[in-house]
Amino acid sequence: MKNQVRTLRTQRSLAQGQLAEAMGVSRQTINSIENERYTPSLPLAIALARYFGVTVEEMFDDQGS
Amino acid sequence: MIKDRSQAICRSRWFVPAFCLALGVVILAASWLGGHPGEGLAELALMAGFGLFILLAGRSETIRGLRGDGRDERFAQIDLRATAVAGLVVITAVIVSWLVEIARGHSGSPYDWLGAIGGLAYAAAVVLFRWRG
Repeated sequence: MKNQVRTLRTQRSLAQGQLAEAMGVSRQTINSIENERYTPSLPLAIALARYFGVTVEEMFDDQGS
Repeated sequence: MIKDRSQAICRSRWFVPAFCLALGVVILAASWLGGHPGEGLAELALMAGFGLFILLAGRSETIRGLRGDGRDERFAQIDLRATAVAGLVVITAVIVSWLVEIARGHSGSPYDWLGAIGGLAYAAAVVLFRWRG
């Protein structure tokens, strides 16, 4: 699923590992989300959106996948 | 997000190595009872060796996922898919073996029982998970 995770992460100068640690998942999971290979669960999607201060709809685009 | 104690135990790096060692001890006991303690000791050494390998192996995602301490929701999904594939392979092997045994004029045992257990377990799991929502 298309998403803004990489954009928002790099805007804040965060490494994938730092975001992964904050979310309680592996760095590879963050990488897979950014590369649209893995669609996160609803709790993780909400946690990511809250972390970046955006809505889930702003972060994930279900129309473009 | 570790939700309960059982999940925390399964995510410990010691769980799989300890399970391998415990299974090795059970195999040793069964082999001993069957009059083949030497084979049991060899199996125990094999299981302990595998457990040690898993415990001391590197920090790759695959190893950490197999070991348990690197599991997150994505790896849980990978584990679920891998389990489904393994189950499909096993049930296919059981059905093929059962058919071969029948074609040879045998009763089909124990493959008939194994197939029935697999089918019933699947149906029971579907009912349970549907009931739980």
